[in-house]
Amino acid sequence: MRTLLIILTLALPPAVAAEDTGIVFIGGGDWGLPIVQEDTGAPGRVDDFLLDVRQVTNGEFLDFVRAKPEWRRDRAPGIFRDARYLSHWPKADALGEGNAAPDRPVTRVSWYAARAYCREIGGRLPTMTEWEYASEKQRETLGVAPEDYAHELFSWYANPGAGALRPVSQGPAPGLGIHDLHGLVLEWVEDFQLVLGRGDDIDLLTGSCGDTARFLPEFDEAHYATFLRFQSRSNYQPDTTTSTLGFRCAYDPE
Amino acid sequence: MKLFKSPTIVTAALVLSLAAGGLNADDRLVHDGEFIVDGKIFGLPEARVYTEDYSGPPVVGDTLTAVPNLAELDYDGNRTHEVRMDVIAQQIEVAPGKFYNAWTFGGSVPGPTLHVREGDRIVFTMKNRSDEPVVITEPVAGGSPFFAQVQANPIQNNQPAVSPMPHSMDFHSGTVAANDKWQTIPPGATIQFDWVANYPGVYMYHCGTPSVLMHTAQGQYGAVVVSPKGGYPTEADREYVLVQSEFYLTEDDYSGGYRYDHAAAMARDPSQVTFNGHVNALHDAPLRANAGERVRLYVLNAGPSGTSSFHVIGAIFDRVWYEGNVENEWRGMQTVLLGASNGAVMDFIVPEQGSYKIVDHEFADAERGAAGTLVAGPRQ
Repeated sequence: MRTLLIILTLALPPAVAAEDTGIVFIGGGDWGLPIVQEDTGAPGRVDDFLLDVRQVTNGEFLDFVRAKPEWRRDRAPGIFRDARYLSHWPKADALGEGNAAPDRPVTRVSWYAARAYCREIGGRLPTMTEWEYASEKQRETLGVAPEDYAHELFSWYANPGAGALRPVSQGPAPGLGIHDLHGLVLEWVEDFQLVLGRGDDIDLLTGSCGDTARFLPEFDEAHYATFLRFQSRSNYQPDTTTSTLGFRCAYDPE
Repeated sequence: MKLFKSPTIVTAALVLSLAAGGLNADDRLVHDGEFIVDGKIFGLPEARVYTEDYSGPPVVGDTLTAVPNLAELDYDGNRTHEVRMDVIAQQIEVAPGKFYNAWTFGGSVPGPTLHVREGDRIVFTMKNRSDEPVVITEPVAGGSPFFAQVQANPIQNNQPAVSPMPHSMDFHSGTVAANDKWQTIPPGATIQFDWVANYPGVYMYHCGTPSVLMHTAQGQYGAVVVSPKGGYPTEADREYVLVQSEFYLTEDDYSGGYRYDHAAAMARDPSQVTFNGHVNALHDAPLRANAGERVRLYVLNAGPSGTSSFHVIGAIFDRVWYEGNVENEWRGMQTVLLGASNGAVMDFIVPEQGSYKIVDHEFADAERGAAGTLVAGPRQ
């Protein structure tokens, strides 16, 4: 399990710190979500935060399950995870090949389990705003054109490669020093249902059939690809687990 | 007049229903809270969302067929249909060499055609199995006729795929509160709800999860045929179901193959427009009839965004029942204009032996694949 070295992280340039600690410092700023919220007026403020450089792996999650056996798939209460929780592992406390290998991102974890993991190591799930802020800053840093961003996301949605996930954090960490924000698996965030309430459930005009225009400040492909992430995330239930949904943790600066 | 299910109005309900055709109104109401207005049932119970350990056939029900087939209704009066259509991802071909990972109901695009009778009740179950590979091209025990028909004519070369996404089901043939029955469920969840076929017609069903443009363009739609209680006033020799739809595909620079092209979908610039999900669907397996026969087409334009100017070259539609309702009868139509999600029942008499092209007379659509063939044999 990864250790927190926040002071060291703050003292060093992000890329160097990230290699050592697995955690990157994200400087805050004024910022609004890339989709329109009903109560949005002025841009919001994102405070400084720290974020895992990579997604949590099967190996790390196995350590957690061993330390907290109440989160084993054969012991975790049913209200905290659906029936497929960690079902890709050959055993409740053993890893395997392919998507169950130690270096692959852990998937088939519920929001409850992801939160418990982050709490256990002294962190928390990133907020939706933090995660999206990191995503946009990463795009800015890398100079990714909106069309390229959109096409890569649509390509991932078309063929997420869930049957054969690659290991996390291959090669040097790009941009802000964060691996796999897009293109490997989706990630839980703390307030994943914020924007659209409880998915379609909140009212007839929120998130219903055809009702996307008022969430999109622009109707280009990039905003649409981003909206698709918000929408699909918002329709998960906290006990949902899928083969394309993992997580990473965030931390408050001391 | 409103009739609520309560002891005080049972007599009135009986009198009304007997006058209307012999069905006991009280028998038609199944759940507390259901009521009848103008002979139609409303006030259905809330949908149930749950998890189930189900890995059986993704399509269950004896009146679910693969296009262009329509199941025969071999019962009198009304019945309840237990229908399952699971959401699964599937790689399909829509033109030679053009494959993409579709989001589907049951594994084909369009999905299975459900046939019921006006007044029938449907208990519908749908599991979101987008997170598991499901094979539909091998014999299925306990499945619907849909599977044997797909396997007999596997023009889309359906292959299992995994593409976890939240999805929902919206039956245009149902009259319900959409925020309840048509609600979105995540991968792994199951939804079950009732709807009653209150109105006859040719209806669209589709996924209504935002963005509905992408979910429908990805392949989540199909047809429900609700036959009128008294049938249609003519006797058809042949019946076929045609679903027109657009595909918006582009070559995928990242993973190869083809994928949804959002810019093209927004510009209404389809890469293919098809009848029954493949540019060759009605060429490789043309519709069949004989000279002098009355052919009945149940046509749905699923869109998602285009219109269809439906026409059969060499024939005139003797009768058209717009939206499939016998009250909406037209005679002698050369072309029937269908907006996105409009349907119609169209009869024509086959004039003589020969080949009859079926087209969207908006020729930009025909050139992109919206064409097919009916081959007519000699007069029998």
